[in-house]
Amino acid sequence: MKRIAVVATIYRHLSHAQHIIDRFLLGYPWEGRWHRPDMKVVSLYVDQRPVGDQIQERAREFGFTVYPTITEALCCGGSELDVDAVLIIGEHGEYPKNDLDQKLYPRYEFFKECISVFEKSGSSVPIYNDKHLSYSFEKAKEMVDDAHRLEFPLLSGSSLPVTWRLPDLELPIDCSIDAALTIGIGGSDIMDYHVMETMQAFSERRMGGETGVRSVQLLDGDAVWKAEEEGRWDNELLEAALSRCDRLLGLTDEDGRTQDMLGSGELKRIVEKPSLYSIEHSDGFESNMLLLPNGLKDTCFAARLKGDDAIHSCQIFTTPIPNVTYSASLVSRIEEMIVTGVSPIPAERTLIVCGMLESCLKSRHQDHVRLETPHLDVTYRSPETPQHAHT
Amino acid sequence: MARRPKIAAITTEYRKFSHTQHIVDRFLEGYGWNGRHHRPPMDLVSIYVDQTPESDLSAERVSRFPHLTKYETIAEALTLGGDKLAVDGVVLVGEHGSYKRNEKGQTLYPRYEFFKEIVKVFRDSDQSVPIWNDKHLSWDWEQAKEMADTARRLGFSLMAGSSLPVTWRIPSLDFPYGAEVSEAVCVAYGGVDSYDFHALETLQCMVERRKGGESGVKWVKAYRGDDFWEAYMDGVWSRELFESALCRSHTMETSRAGFNNIFPTVDEMKQMVSAPVAFQYEHADGLKCTMFLMRDLLQDFNFAAYVGDSRVPLSTQMYLPMPPVRTTLASFFSPLVNHIETLFLTGKAPIPLERTLLTTGILAAGVESLFQDHRRQDTPHLNVTYTAPEESQYWRT
Repeated sequence: MKRIAVVATIYRHLSHAQHIIDRFLLGYPWEGRWHRPDMKVVSLYVDQRPVGDQIQERAREFGFTVYPTITEALCCGGSELDVDAVLIIGEHGEYPKNDLDQKLYPRYEFFKECISVFEKSGSSVPIYNDKHLSYSFEKAKEMVDDAHRLEFPLLSGSSLPVTWRLPDLELPIDCSIDAALTIGIGGSDIMDYHVMETMQAFSERRMGGETGVRSVQLLDGDAVWKAEEEGRWDNELLEAALSRCDRLLGLTDEDGRTQDMLGSGELKRIVEKPSLYSIEHSDGFESNMLLLPNGLKDTCFAARLKGDDAIHSCQIFTTPIPNVTYSASLVSRIEEMIVTGVSPIPAERTLIVCGMLESCLKSRHQDHVRLETPHLDVTYRSPETPQHAHT
Repeated sequence: MARRPKIAAITTEYRKFSHTQHIVDRFLEGYGWNGRHHRPPMDLVSIYVDQTPESDLSAERVSRFPHLTKYETIAEALTLGGDKLAVDGVVLVGEHGSYKRNEKGQTLYPRYEFFKEIVKVFRDSDQSVPIWNDKHLSWDWEQAKEMADTARRLGFSLMAGSSLPVTWRIPSLDFPYGAEVSEAVCVAYGGVDSYDFHALETLQCMVERRKGGESGVKWVKAYRGDDFWEAYMDGVWSRELFESALCRSHTMETSRAGFNNIFPTVDEMKQMVSAPVAFQYEHADGLKCTMFLMRDLLQDFNFAAYVGDSRVPLSTQMYLPMPPVRTTLASFFSPLVNHIETLFLTGKAPIPLERTLLTTGILAAGVESLFQDHRRQDTPHLNVTYTAPEESQYWRT
């Protein structure tokens, strides 16, 4: 049975660590049965102990040991690496923010401590890192480089790219994407990340795979509607994405009515602070993420493929709280990596999204200028098999 | 260009989140469909509303849609104030509103009465048009049977039912057409004479696709409270199927504080669910089906069955984006309205009326069984046989 070490910021009810680790402890619903992973959490390090901390009760019930340092957790108190996989869950907890409004979760620092143990032990094991690798592309790049150098699989990212889709849409691998638009609500940088990684999970399936990102620009407020007038995105894609929403606000919230929010002009009336994250990829492909707070509460995607009149669109289904079964989809990906020793999704996806997001926030900070991003020359191929929940 | 069909809506009440609001609004405002804001190619021109509570929205809708007129009687709504039938289709929504309950706990929604008034106009005009009836035909089997017979006799298409058979499925799958099935379940929630109908339609839209088609139902028996748990332990239904369906839920109550998604033990389920209800019934070809209402265990509709030779259950959730807690739009009405549009455009019901006639009868027999100390009800009258359409009808695009 595979032995797992957990390195987390906090562990309390409805924190990411609780959602993810509990599934290893208790199992989770998968393909119409209650699946129990054939692996055991043996050790845990947690950085903060807020009110509601659940570590002691979990350790007692499930028989793992809580260690005061990351090194001890990975070595189970001994002198060498003594686990088969590490889960780093650096989400939630009290950490400062920087001037880009990014929360400085210590994922990089946690990861580097793991690397130090790997290097001292002369062996390494798979790591799952929750959400983006780091708020900083430079740090994230070092993490991915470490994984390649020490030859261990690294899986990272959000649940959104792997949850159910309504309808069950996947773009054909190596398709020619003419234009793509992802909509959501975001919230810097914690929520933006989920939407942006969802967008990238579709973008990377285009012909030639991911080629890197040449430049980015983030617009806010009236500049977004001005960009619309200039045709910066295809409004048929916006209509398609909106048509997939189950949580429109405004008049729908008032009396339940369905709405053509774009056609009626209601969207512009109620969304006072829209944001447009515009990504120019190295092969010329442009992806756009439009955040529409107060307009809706869903994440939806729409794309037009070359030589195809139809618009392909879906809702990314964030299943209800508290079950949040979307995290079961994520845990099944983590399990697959631990069992096979191969990450089902390349860490480069997360890496490039870290860089896209950071550069977009810098664009906002620098008066919304378009920023050249030669450092984002991250190239990779999407997995051919769909990785989202569909069975 | 063909003339746009005119539609009349005959309804109980029009307020936020009533079935009338969900359905009629989709005709008036359009709705998201296949990646567009779809506007039905027909005009809903008249409405009759039986009750107008303070929260009534019909006046607001009439003021905003000049082509819509509210009439004081069903006959006027159908004749547009004239003396002959003047519409091309009728939407009958007899759900929600204040209506009496009988001693069996059934709400006496006036669907049959509305239907009779509509048919009177048809007869007086010597002409009839398609009717769509929301949910079951009636709380009473005899009334339902008469409605179905009347439609056949007068030669108009009658379509009815729930949105459960046509909504999203997670995962997106259908019952393999023509496959054998030995047992099927639907694990759902809600109250008797309410969501049980939806759960029965969930089951029936799947198993009607089985080898040999629908053969009718021989008997129905209800379980509630202690005898439910006894039956659960005695294997009256497959626990594996029950659990498989439960594993498709996205809304399981957590049996232990501090957890968010935990599979409950039977003892925990007993603690959580104070009044579990099951309707079990046997089809004429021997298929055994069981419908569960597990209030306080989950809040969605989940199907599981043993299909063909496989002992791995086929399972899925019939997903309802349900306002107001989880969504703002009840988008499961969109595929339903889309099928209603097809009915009005083609004059043919894409969904077989027999499905809803049968589920109406199973529901009435289940309620009767509960009323008669859970005694098994033989149902020779439910010899409803039909062949399901082969093409899938659920929302998947």
